[in-house]
Amino acid sequence: MSTVEQIAIERATIDVDIACVGFGPAMGGFLTTLSRELLNHDGSPAIESGTMPGMPLQVICYERADDIGFGVSGVVTRARGIRASFPGLDPAQIPMAAPVSSEKLVYLLDPIGASRRSRALRVGDRLFRAFRKFLRVRHDALELPFTPGFLHKKDGLVLSIGQFNQWVGAQLMSSGTVQIWPGMPVSEALIEDGKVRGVRLLDQGVDRGGSPDAGFTPGMDIHAALTVVGDGPAGAVSRDIDRRLGMPEGNEVREWAVGMKFVIELRPDVELQPGTVLHTFGFPEPEMFGFLYVHPGNVASVGIFVPSWFDCPIRTAYRYLQHYIQHPYLWRFLEGGKLRSWGAKSLQESGKRGEPFLAGDGYARIGESSSGTNVLTGSGVDEAWTTGALLGEGVIELLQAGKPFTRENLEQAYEQRRRNSWLEKEARIAEKSRDGFQRGVVTGLIGMALAAFSNGRFSLGSPPAKPGERLVSPADFYRGKLTPQEITAVQQECDVRGTSAHGPLMDRCGWPAIQHDGSLLVSHQDVLLMGGKVQAPAGYADHVVFRDIEVCRRCGNKLCVEMCSGQAITRSVAGVPNFDREKCIFCGACMWNCPETVQGQSNLQLRAGAGGLHSAEN
Amino acid sequence: MENILFLAHSEADGTLSTAALEALGAAVELKQALNGTLAVALYGAQIQSAADSISACGAQRFLAVCGEEFATARHATDAAACEALVRASGATIIIAAASSRNSRVMGALAHRVRGCVDTHVTDVTASSGAPVVTRWFYRQRIEGSLTRTQRPWILLLDPGVCSAWQGTPGSITPELIDVPISDSLRRTSVRGTVTPPADQQTIRPDAKLLFVAGAGWTKKQKDGQTHVPEAEAIILDFLRNSKASLGGSKSLVDLSGENQSTLRFMSHLNQVGQTGATPRHPKGLSACCHGEEPHTVGWRFIGERRAINLDPNCGWARGKADVLYVADAFEVMSKVNALLAAM
Amino acid sequence: MSNSFQVVVCASVVPDPLQTLEPVSGPNGPALKNEMMLPAILDPWAAHALYEGANLVKQVAGSSLWLVSMAPKAKLQQVMMTVAQKVPLQLVAVDGPSSGFADAHQTATTLAAAVRTIPGIDLSKLLLFGGWESASRSAGVTLQLVGEELGIVDQFQGVDAITPQTDGSFEVLERIEGARHQVSVCAGPPAVLGWATGSLGEPRNDPQVGMANMRTLMPALQRAMAGTVSSDGLHYANVTTPKQQRQTRIVKDMPTDEVARELVHWITQE
Repeated sequence: MSTVEQIAIERATIDVDIACVGFGPAMGGFLTTLSRELLNHDGSPAIESGTMPGMPLQVICYERADDIGFGVSGVVTRARGIRASFPGLDPAQIPMAAPVSSEKLVYLLDPIGASRRSRALRVGDRLFRAFRKFLRVRHDALELPFTPGFLHKKDGLVLSIGQFNQWVGAQLMSSGTVQIWPGMPVSEALIEDGKVRGVRLLDQGVDRGGSPDAGFTPGMDIHAALTVVGDGPAGAVSRDIDRRLGMPEGNEVREWAVGMKFVIELRPDVELQPGTVLHTFGFPEPEMFGFLYVHPGNVASVGIFVPSWFDCPIRTAYRYLQHYIQHPYLWRFLEGGKLRSWGAKSLQESGKRGEPFLAGDGYARIGESSSGTNVLTGSGVDEAWTTGALLGEGVIELLQAGKPFTRENLEQAYEQRRRNSWLEKEARIAEKSRDGFQRGVVTGLIGMALAAFSNGRFSLGSPPAKPGERLVSPADFYRGKLTPQEITAVQQECDVRGTSAHGPLMDRCGWPAIQHDGSLLVSHQDVLLMGGKVQAPAGYADHVVFRDIEVCRRCGNKLCVEMCSGQAITRSVAGVPNFDREKCIFCGACMWNCPETVQGQSNLQLRAGAGGLHSAEN
Repeated sequence: MENILFLAHSEADGTLSTAALEALGAAVELKQALNGTLAVALYGAQIQSAADSISACGAQRFLAVCGEEFATARHATDAAACEALVRASGATIIIAAASSRNSRVMGALAHRVRGCVDTHVTDVTASSGAPVVTRWFYRQRIEGSLTRTQRPWILLLDPGVCSAWQGTPGSITPELIDVPISDSLRRTSVRGTVTPPADQQTIRPDAKLLFVAGAGWTKKQKDGQTHVPEAEAIILDFLRNSKASLGGSKSLVDLSGENQSTLRFMSHLNQVGQTGATPRHPKGLSACCHGEEPHTVGWRFIGERRAINLDPNCGWARGKADVLYVADAFEVMSKVNALLAAM
Repeated sequence: MSNSFQVVVCASVVPDPLQTLEPVSGPNGPALKNEMMLPAILDPWAAHALYEGANLVKQVAGSSLWLVSMAPKAKLQQVMMTVAQKVPLQLVAVDGPSSGFADAHQTATTLAAAVRTIPGIDLSKLLLFGGWESASRSAGVTLQLVGEELGIVDQFQGVDAITPQTDGSFEVLERIEGARHQVSVCAGPPAVLGWATGSLGEPRNDPQVGMANMRTLMPALQRAMAGTVSSDGLHYANVTTPKQQRQTRIVKDMPTDEVARELVHWITQE
């Protein structure tokens, strides 16, 4: 059989002025800013199309998901950039949005005794418990008397990104100036002589391996004067550009996290004000930060972040999230609640160190794909929106001046704007703020405070290692708790059952079994159905590919399986993981969790794909 | 006072279907509850034996439209017949069974007599002298009770929701109403019916057991491989041995539409659920079905339900089935086949 | 072409069937909780009608296809971005309710008026397509009422196939009891066809189709006419979700042979 690459294919092409990849907050910021300048008051084009003379500027945005309202994030954001784009914004206009009404930072003690705490933390926990009355330790938690300024989301908003995207998308489309096409994945950038000439849509009508099958339709080539890439932390087009055009000297993406959350309808008697924000740390593992945000209508987003520096070789998010919500401090609110939605995504947490070229000939990068997230303030949406809005201003400037989208022009019009903005100033402060976590949680927390209060002048720790470089073997990790034989036996059993191994290993380490209740505590498979809907349209190739299966066979950890948010990757007797496209929610965790490299690239390839998790309340 | 009309068509053999008798049962009850009048209106090629069979139902009038023009279920002529019957009866409430023939014309009938219509009715009661109708919305996921002031009000009753009227057949001479049929009403000719080929499995309402297959049959099994041919053989064997009828979950049926590897004999005709059938077999056995509401809507009306699934928390079974076997369906069903074959 | 068809598909949007639906009482009667937030799709059976309509138009030269859709404009716009990638169509948008509790009669009057406004519409060539039943109101009468409003006497429901004949007539397969199909031949349009699933799968998203549709789609959405649906004389006493929880006996760790024996006993007992 021949693959698509091997046969000459006649591809349909279209020419547009601006092709955009991915519709999230960053693209929302870009298109909102741009669209406002495209028409005159009388409805005539303010800026004429270069490809279709006489017509308005042709701007098309392609989104992989089947709808533009399928974000995967319940967030609290200071919303500085969003408010700047929408002065006088009334949060009541956006479903599930609420102004921040109260904010607390809470240290969660371990009520179970299964959490892997360092000696320092154990001593700390004992002291907290000993002085519980004095320190007002209640529900196994210590509410800190204040929230540090750098974490504070004063004047901010609690948002559902799904709903926010939908709201922004509706405004944009009603303007009639831009087109946003859902259900249309982009496979790669069209690059000639180091210049981005547009994008190629994903081939349809192919088999799992990508070979032409019944109804083969080659992906269309979209030629564009400017390609705007905002495809998120694990976007295929971003990574394709980085691979082919390189990264700035010394820059590399090394730090990641998976964020997973539930949207929960709270019991009617729970009286949490909309806009209530809880930031937590300390449980289920000390490395994991957590959150609870209250939306209007007695609905809360509750979730955790599992960072790449949590060195557990069987790290997982779902099981930990189930333990997290049952912490007594949170469970008093959440018990009896009903799961409305669920989701997970990777967060690119490398900050300045992971920044790609923000612009080049014919293209610009915005949002998380441009390393816009601030890891010190734990904020990404506001930053993403602002990167897009700044690009929008720059693009308008170039269009109005009739200047082409060259590297120089985009650097001057966009990159300089970004360098002069609060984004850059805050990103510099954050640059080394989390280096301390390379040495441990306590050092990490102190390092964050130090960086914040010294405006980035001081930091603790060392530059981060790649996720795979830090990993220890399961035998080392469980030393003292489980024998290597026990671990191997569990893994072999899981190979036969085709499941991940973290469940039985956590059971053996003292984590209590989850008592399913059918409405909030449900199995991992049920959450895929109850928490949303995983779309896997037919006729697309598998987007998770194991390049060298011998490498997979030798891999002891199979972290891709453990970390898979949808149980789409499973163990097998043959030793090579199985991938089930119908369960993949495109969180991207497998990509950065694969510790094996082949010829300089990760052995697990996450390619462009179609579908994913769809839930409007995320 | 409400004038209640029971409206029905005769079957090919001149009798009334069970569903029609259920609608008559509901009409008789409503007449008593509202202290109203009851009339019977029949249409079809032959109506005499149908009329005789319910002559003791207590109706004050028996009306009928009959003849060869009304032998087949054709919208244009059926609508004309029903319109004439309703006009002649002066009915305010019309109760009919939701047969395909009645369902096809009730919208037109309501429009022509300037009335209104509700379908998927599951209950008709009286409250303060007025009828209250309970019906499904959102494909059997929401039930609503409503009243209307507009008359005539046509109600199409779902099968199986009321007790069939029972009584001794007698003899009655219905008032025959002449309905002239012009050529403009003969533009459609009904050529007959087609039954799916004998080897094509469908949902047969007469079977005692409905076997519902889920998409799990086509997924990778323990060894990491799919075993679709084996799944096909096991299922067909079981249908042969047990005389069960075959249903499928939406996800399995959809796979066949998408040309994915799936069970070759599975089509939309097998689909149970929101966009498929809601069968009412006495027993139902599901295997490899997974899903939450609304997937499970499909087998809500099956009497006794058992399920086989590897996941003890399977939403298709928990709270929906009487028994859930946490087991490998391939293994269990192969064994079941062996046992059935040996009987 | 004398034998060409003008296919008008009536299709509204409904909540994605996989969403949990919860009824609530609103100022205008019952509604769904968070109705505007629920992801929406084109009504499934009506979507089949659209795909079949597009296929028919492709087969019979000189034919054309319109989609008449009434829903809140924001929802309609959202769903149309996906629908527009499936088949070439011309949209007639009506900004009105898509709730399952909106009365069928009033809805039909509004839709019939929208069909009449289609420029160049010729009722003698009209094939009015739609879903057999919607996934919202699930009454199965709205399309019939639209047909009646337009004076169409040949109607078919539960349609799985239409086969045009050379003389301008067409054969129709309708679902009837006993998993059978009734076969009819209609002399020609006008006719109403309420579709079941038909035989075509959902077409893939095609960017070229999308681009072509976009030229007419956005203007159609922008000039969407307002559709009002009153509910004179209709009063909802209550609206609930049925509670049919069963006490499930979960049998774990029973040997396969024993499970099989128990099942066979259950299957064979009267």
